[in-house]
Amino acid sequence: MDRQEVAEKISTMGEVDILVGIPSYNSAKTIAHVVKAVEAGLFKYFPHCKSLLVNSDGGSTDGTMEAVRDTTVDLESILIDRKADQFRKFVTPYHGIPGKGSAFRTIFEIARDLNVKACAVVDSDLRSITPEWIELLIKPVLEDHYDYVSPYYMRHKYDGTITNSIVYPLTRALYGKRIRQPIGGDFGFSGRLASFYLTKDVWETDVARFGIDIWMTTTAVANGFRICQAFLGAKIHDAKDPGSDLSAMLHQVVSSVFNLMEEYAGVWRDISKSEPVRTFGFAYSVGLEPIHVNLNNMIEKFRMGIRDLDVLYRAFLPEPLLESLHRLAEAPKNRFLYPDRDWVRTVFYFALACHRRVMSTEHIIKSLTPLYLGKVSSFVIETWDSTADEVEQRLEELCLAFEKAKPEWIELWDERQ
Amino acid sequence: MENLLEKIITEPLKDFLQRLAHFLPNFLSALIVFLIGLLFAWVVKAVILRLFKLLRLDALSARSGFTEALKKMSVKDPPEKLMGRFFYWLTVIIFFIVSLYLLELPAIEQLLEKLLLYLPNVLVAVVILVVGFLLANFLGRTALIASVNAGIGFAGFLYRTIKIIVVLLAFVMALEQLGIARSTVVTAFTIVFGGLVFALSLAFGLGGRGIARRYLEKRFKVNDEDENNEIRHI
Repeated sequence: MDRQEVAEKISTMGEVDILVGIPSYNSAKTIAHVVKAVEAGLFKYFPHCKSLLVNSDGGSTDGTMEAVRDTTVDLESILIDRKADQFRKFVTPYHGIPGKGSAFRTIFEIARDLNVKACAVVDSDLRSITPEWIELLIKPVLEDHYDYVSPYYMRHKYDGTITNSIVYPLTRALYGKRIRQPIGGDFGFSGRLASFYLTKDVWETDVARFGIDIWMTTTAVANGFRICQAFLGAKIHDAKDPGSDLSAMLHQVVSSVFNLMEEYAGVWRDISKSEPVRTFGFAYSVGLEPIHVNLNNMIEKFRMGIRDLDVLYRAFLPEPLLESLHRLAEAPKNRFLYPDRDWVRTVFYFALACHRRVMSTEHIIKSLTPLYLGKVSSFVIETWDSTADEVEQRLEELCLAFEKAKPEWIELWDERQ
Repeated sequence: MENLLEKIITEPLKDFLQRLAHFLPNFLSALIVFLIGLLFAWVVKAVILRLFKLLRLDALSARSGFTEALKKMSVKDPPEKLMGRFFYWLTVIIFFIVSLYLLELPAIEQLLEKLLLYLPNVLVAVVILVVGFLLANFLGRTALIASVNAGIGFAGFLYRTIKIIVVLLAFVMALEQLGIARSTVVTAFTIVFGGLVFALSLAFGLGGRGIARRYLEKRFKVNDEDENNEIRHI
């Protein structure tokens, strides 16, 4: 089905109030559960709205699209009345560069063409999605006129360490909104915002491939749209790509953040402090069962990085910071502490190196991996006996360190090379 | 006697004066062209400097690691300045050659013809060397970062080895382009490179069997430990 055919089919549907998009690629095993949760959520919480489920597929060969078409939910068994059948499904392959961003583009286009009031997108590999997710992602848009609903999952203290140590503190310090999980993956947004996303010329870039989550969040924040968070509970999903290594993952996430930092330099320069965003949903904590962390291996990789990558770091890290990192590399495990101030400076000088194009961006960001492992190790050592609230408090301190250092960044960012 | 004097002194003197009369105007025009060339070379240098400044050659070179490579060869000047100097001397040499042609001396003409035919080889050799240095830096860095992130202990050694091999390869290709001891250089490179690989294979396979075993065991063990690491980065 090409774009023209999609547009023709869509034009026969008339107006739709709510659209829920599911991007997919070879997710036949898990997508049926997601479709059921979405359908149940729409029937339960929005029975009087015209709603549409769109599956935007990247050419699955395992029967994902068929699974979406064939799946129906037994509403009676979950005590939901099928009042008026205003629910429809639309399954289409997306076009363009393979990636989640291209799948989203198709969803945005359909939302715009149908003049949709509220949209949500959820991952196709979710195992913990419930009908309540749809309520929490859609209602703030429909009833409170928010434009963007960011997800807030309850996670183990050592889950999402890239988010906790880089993405959350950096986006918060830059754009002044405390969005706890800016790369969550499941979002709600208004039809107005979907149309705005489509005006941006990013669909042939890395945004189309892998950076769509942080791009959506940052674009919404930096352009002054109304933002809130929805507490969705735990997020359990299939491992995306067990073969992908940490440095590739770090490169994908951090390069997206740094690219946006470049694009919105004019916006974040004028923001001096952060403010909380409204959070919907019933918050609760998850248990902190002990998990296995291989500290020795992570610290060893940090030491190896300091020893062998020193030749690269000297091109963009300042001497005092390098000295401090070398001292840390020599410290024994029980005194291994990567101070927040040093970490903030590390992240910023890496961003600055990308801004000044000191060398290839991929080389710069992939060389951050050992230092990131050092910070994670230090965090694990510091918080091993901490409760979830204590860990959040510790992260708050890190965020404040990022915010405190911001004036110095602005000066360096604007300085000519 | 008179005849003899004419043959020994007068005729050669006349001949010399005739030749000098023919040569002097040529020499003067050659000198004027060369002086104009010097002046023109200054203009070219100024234009080139401005052009490369606009193109931000220094930043580009720093990014690609070329400046770092130059520093290691004790070249302290930035690439923009080097390019200005290169084009200055290129213009001077071109005008010098044109001046020499104006002298109309057969021996010099033959020599210049050979030189002109050889010049493209020099330019190609320079390009090969520059590309070689850039490639060596890029590949070296890629290998270094990848091996450090994979936890390979000899990342630094790998980095230096890859850089040396690529630079050596570029150097051999440049020498081959210049036609300097073509067969000797290629043969020497083949022997040295082949020998190096053979020696490493022997050292690792025989002498370093224990190290190889320990290394592989450690690698597999590390991988197991990695799998046990339950931290979720994303």
